[in-house]
Formats: sequence, C-alpha cells, structure tokens
Amino acid sequence: MRKRVLIVVALFSILSILGGLYIIHSLSRATTIQGNLITLHQVEILREHLLIQIKKVQGDLTLKGTRHERDIGTLTTHVENMSMVIDACFDCHHSAVTSSRLMSLHERIDAYKLALSRVFTIRANTARLEWEEDVAFSIGRSLIDDLNAMLAFTSAQLDERTQAALMQIRRSKSVLTIFILTGPLLAIGLALILFKRISDPISSLLDATRKLKSGDLDHRVRGLKDEFGELAGSFNEMAESLKEQMQSMQRAEQLVVIGEMASGLAHEIKNPLAGIKASIEILGEDLELGDQDREVLSRIIEEIKKIEALLRSLLNYARPPAPQLDTLEIERVLTRALTSARYSVRGIHSRSEKETTVSFERNFDGNLPMILADPSQLEQVFLNLLLNAAEAMPEGGAVTLSASYDIATDTVRIEVSDTGPGLEEENIEKIFKPFYTTKPRGTGLGLAICRRLINQHGGDIGVENKPGGGARFIVTIPVHHDPGEESS
Amino acid sequence: MNLDGAFFGSFTYTLAHTKIGLEVLARPESAEGISTYYGLLFVRKDSGLKKGKDMREKRFAFVDKATTAGYLLPLDYFKNEGINDYKAFFSETYFTGTHEGAIYDVLNQKADVGAAKNTVFYRIAKNDPRILKELEILVRSPDVPENALALRKDLPDSIKQSIKSALLGMADDPEGVKVLSNFGAARFIETTDRDYAAVFTYAGKIGLDLATYDYIND
Repeated sequence: MRKRVLIVVALFSILSILGGLYIIHSLSRATTIQGNLITLHQVEILREHLLIQIKKVQGDLTLKGTRHERDIGTLTTHVENMSMVIDACFDCHHSAVTSSRLMSLHERIDAYKLALSRVFTIRANTARLEWEEDVAFSIGRSLIDDLNAMLAFTSAQLDERTQAALMQIRRSKSVLTIFILTGPLLAIGLALILFKRISDPISSLLDATRKLKSGDLDHRVRGLKDEFGELAGSFNEMAESLKEQMQSMQRAEQLVVIGEMASGLAHEIKNPLAGIKASIEILGEDLELGDQDREVLSRIIEEIKKIEALLRSLLNYARPPAPQLDTLEIERVLTRALTSARYSVRGIHSRSEKETTVSFERNFDGNLPMILADPSQLEQVFLNLLLNAAEAMPEGGAVTLSASYDIATDTVRIEVSDTGPGLEEENIEKIFKPFYTTKPRGTGLGLAICRRLINQHGGDIGVENKPGGGARFIVTIPVHHDPGEESS
Repeated sequence: MNLDGAFFGSFTYTLAHTKIGLEVLARPESAEGISTYYGLLFVRKDSGLKKGKDMREKRFAFVDKATTAGYLLPLDYFKNEGINDYKAFFSETYFTGTHEGAIYDVLNQKADVGAAKNTVFYRIAKNDPRILKELEILVRSPDVPENALALRKDLPDSIKQSIKSALLGMADDPEGVKVLSNFGAARFIETTDRDYAAVFTYAGKIGLDLATYDYIND
C-alpha cells in the first residue's frame, strides 16, 4: 500500500512537473514567437523607411533642373538619412542569405550615392549631364523596385508567420486548457482510487470487528492485500484465538458447574452412605447368617466402600485443596513416589494369580534445580502415574522415571515411561478428561486430578506413544528462582 | 558661417591668399616624409594618344576649376603643346568634380584624357589593379604643397603662433601622435607662401589673374 501511495504521489508529481514545464515552454515559445514577429515588423518598418528615403532622394533627382528643384542641403540630408537607414539594417542579426542581400543592397546604395554625387558635382554638356542623371535615376529606380519586392516578400512572410504564430498560440491554448481541465480531474480520480484502496480494507476490517463484537467468532477477513492483508491475517488469528479461549472458558465453566453439582451431590450421598454402611455392618454382626448371605453382605459393603472412594475422588477433583508450596528438590519427591510405587506393586502382584514382574528404574540428571511445589500433591501425582504405568503392563515390564532440566523453557521435565502396549490414538486426546477411563475398575478421575494439580503448580502434563512401543507421560514444572538469587 | 581658418588645396590657397589675404601655417607630412603632391595627365594605354596633337577632337575630363592638378596642370600642358583654345581643340571638356571621377571616366572610356592628383591616383590604384594596368601617365607636374591650414589674416598673432606651435609639436606628444595617426600623417611641418611658388608660376604662365579669377566651373 505504501508503495502504491508513493507511486501515485510520484505519478502526480511527475504530471505536475510536466504540466509546469509545458506551461513554461509554451509561454517562452509564445514570447519568442511574438519577439520574432516584432522583429519582423521592425524589419518591415525599416525597409519601408529605407524605401521612403530612397524615394525622397529619387524625387530630389527628378526635380533637379525644374522650377521646384531642392537646394543641395535638402538633398544631402535625404542622402544621409538613406545611408543611416541602410546602416541600421546591419544592426540586426541576419541569416547569411539576408546578410548577403543586404550587402548587395548596401553596395548598390553606395553606387547610387556615387552616381548622385557625380550628377551634382560634374560640370559638363547637357548630354553628359543627362546621361549621368539617367545612370543615377536608373539605379534609384531599380533600388525602389527591389525594395518593393523585398517589402512584398517581408510582408508575405510576416502574414505567414503571424498566421503560424496565431495557430501555434491557439494550439498551446487548447493544450493548456486540456491540462487545466484534466489535471484536477486526474488528481481527484487518483485521490479517489487511493482513498478507496485505503477505505475499503478499513471498512472491511471495521465490519469484521463489529461482527466479532456481536459474537460472530467464525467471521474471517478475506481478500485484502499488502499491509492490510497482514492486518487481516493478525485479525483472523486474533479471532481464532478468541474463539479457542471462549470455548475453553465455556468448557471450564461447564466443568465448574458440573463439579459443584457433583461435589454437592457427593456430600449429600456421603453421609447417608456412611449410615447404610454402618447399618449393614451391624446387621452382619448381629444376624445369624449363612455363609452365602454373609458373602452377599460383605460384597454390599465392598461396593459401598467403592462408592465412598469414588465420592472422595470426586470431591478431591472438584475442590482440590490449595497446594502448600515449598521450595524443594524434585529428586526427593520422586524417590518417595518410586518407593511407594514399588511397595504397592509388590502388594498387587502378590495378590494376583500370575507371577509377573514390573521393574522400576530411575534416571535423574545431577544438579536438578529447585522447584516451588506442594510435596505431598506432587508425590500423589507421580505415584498415580507410576502405578498407572505398572497396571498398563499385566504381563510385566519396566517403568522408567527420569528427570532432567530443560534450559529452553527453564522447566524441570519428568517422564514416566513404560514398556506396555501404549495408548490408542483416540484416547490420547481424552485421557485427561474426568470420568474417562479405560480400566474396568477406574473412576476416570485419577489423571484429571493429576492434571489439575500440575496446572495448579504452573506446570503441564501430556502423554505420547514412544516410537518403540509403550506410553510416556511428560510432566513439566517451572524452575523456582529465589528472588535474592538473581540479584546476587 | 564665418570661419577663422581651414585646410586649403594648393590652388585654393593661392586664390584665397590673393583674394582675401589668408596666411598659411602648416601642413601634414606622411610617415614617408611626403608633404607635397603633383598632378598627372593620363590616357588609356590602348588609346594610342602620346602627345597634345593626338588629342584633337577627343574628350577631356578636368576635376575642378579650383584644382592645381585637375585644372592648372592641364592648362599648362595645353600651352606647352601649343593648344591655345582647348575648348575648340577638344570635342568635349567637362569637370568631374572629383579626382576619382576623372580617373574612372578615362578608365571606363567616358573620356579620352584626364587630369588628377597623384595621391588619389595611387590610392585608387592600390585597390583597383586596372588603374596601373590600363592607364598610362603622359605628364607629371612639379611638386606642390599638400592641403595646408591657413588662417584669417586679422587673427591675433598670439593665437596664430600658439596654433602653429601646437601643430608643429604634435609629433613629440604621445596624445598628438595618436591624433596624427588618425589623421593619416606623421607630423605637421611649417609652410609659407614660398612653398606655393610653383602654383603662382603656373597661374602666371597660363595667364590667370588670381585676384579676379572666377573658379565656378562652366
């Protein structure tokens, strides 16, 4: 757009300069033409003047010897005037042709003067005198004829040049008129085009903003170019991001509502359920029951216990306790979780029929930085992840717990990987959602609680399938920087 | 118009001196040291004219009645050649008014014999080679003084003297040299009536009474 504006401005400037140059050119041309015409007029006047002077002298010559003969002083004045005029002809600049014509004219006038001088100085008989007079007279006559011809030529030339000059000036005038009329129109046109090119994208963006405001998050700005295209791209990204945030907020709100409902419900159920459980236990002790009935009762109590566990988890998820943050070394937490996991797995496997072995391996980098966390909550999370991994391998396998420092994100990265079958792709997306479980006896809240706890620590949790098989859970927790540490 | 002085030709000075008593003062001298001129009588080379008697019934071009070279000399020549009445002897005589006129009239065969002063003759000859090629000089007169400055007799002597010394001193003054150069001379030299002896002799010989001479061309 900037380039276009520059091009338009440059174009208009060039047009203005060209117009200005043309005006200057035509003005100077008109002046030159008029100057030439004036010069030509002067030439015409000068030649007419010369003609008049020659005619006067010729008149003096004609009157010689008559009653009206002029005195020699008048004649001399007339001849001097004639000489002055022909000399004045040489004051102007002439072409080579004109110069040579003037030179020959000058020579003939000199000859005329000589002949005249002879006429008036010679003392001889009438025949010789008349002959001399005839010579002078014929020179004068031919000078007059030639000057008449020259005058006719000058006059014709003047007419022609005047016509040409008028034509030229008329043409200049029309071109100037066109310039003056089209110049502003062109300027307005260019300005309108430029204005439209700026205002169209702006109104398109404005329209999009209004749509966004009215809640149409799916509206996207299309078809814009250059800087406006970039702006539209940013705008579209913003709309996309707004839409995502809106959706996640809606989801969070839904969750809060569901969570509150669930926890309220759980609270309401928990107490009667405790009553039911106590009553059944009393019944079981008091009644004389057969082994079969006692088995039924104990199963009822088991189920009630499961319901209680579920309710506890639900309450735990919906209203997680605020973390008791403390700076700590992550290795300690991880080691404790690992120890607990080993005990728990031994317990599970000792109860099962098959002899399966799950080994736990640790792989911690040295010098892991400190983090700010609630140790018991973190231990709960990692124990959960370790046990999940063990459970994912009924046939046995290895669970590796590793920890490292990621300098790029300034986080501690903890990985829990197993050698089990891995996760199905579709489950990877849903695995952290509440009430979603692949285990026959799971509540579907374990990983959801894990995520919630890790998020409370400013961290993140994710899962992926390892290329060689097995799943890998990745937890990242930001490194804690002691405020005094940085300044020191 | 009343003038106190003027440059006169040799004959006009003798006339003015005799008639109104003008006094000659000084005349210019050229770089070559020339301060005199002489008269010439000339014909076309192809005319075959050699002597006075060859000129019978020919046309003669004088310059002016008031010129030494253009009138006095030819009259002296006619007398020497035994032509007593030149008007009857020649078929036509006339006055061209200028020395150039007389020279060109002979050259262009408008006249058969002409008279003029040598300075004009050779000046024209410089630019027109036909003069020397086609004209033949028959007679050369003795030298007479070049045009000289003469003053009115009744001017105070002091003025006459100061003008004279100014003119004669011009060649020694840088400013004067410049003026002289423009005038076409190297210096002014003193001139007296003695320098005009030849003219007076001419006039006497041909029987002109300078005191009553009417110099209007007829």
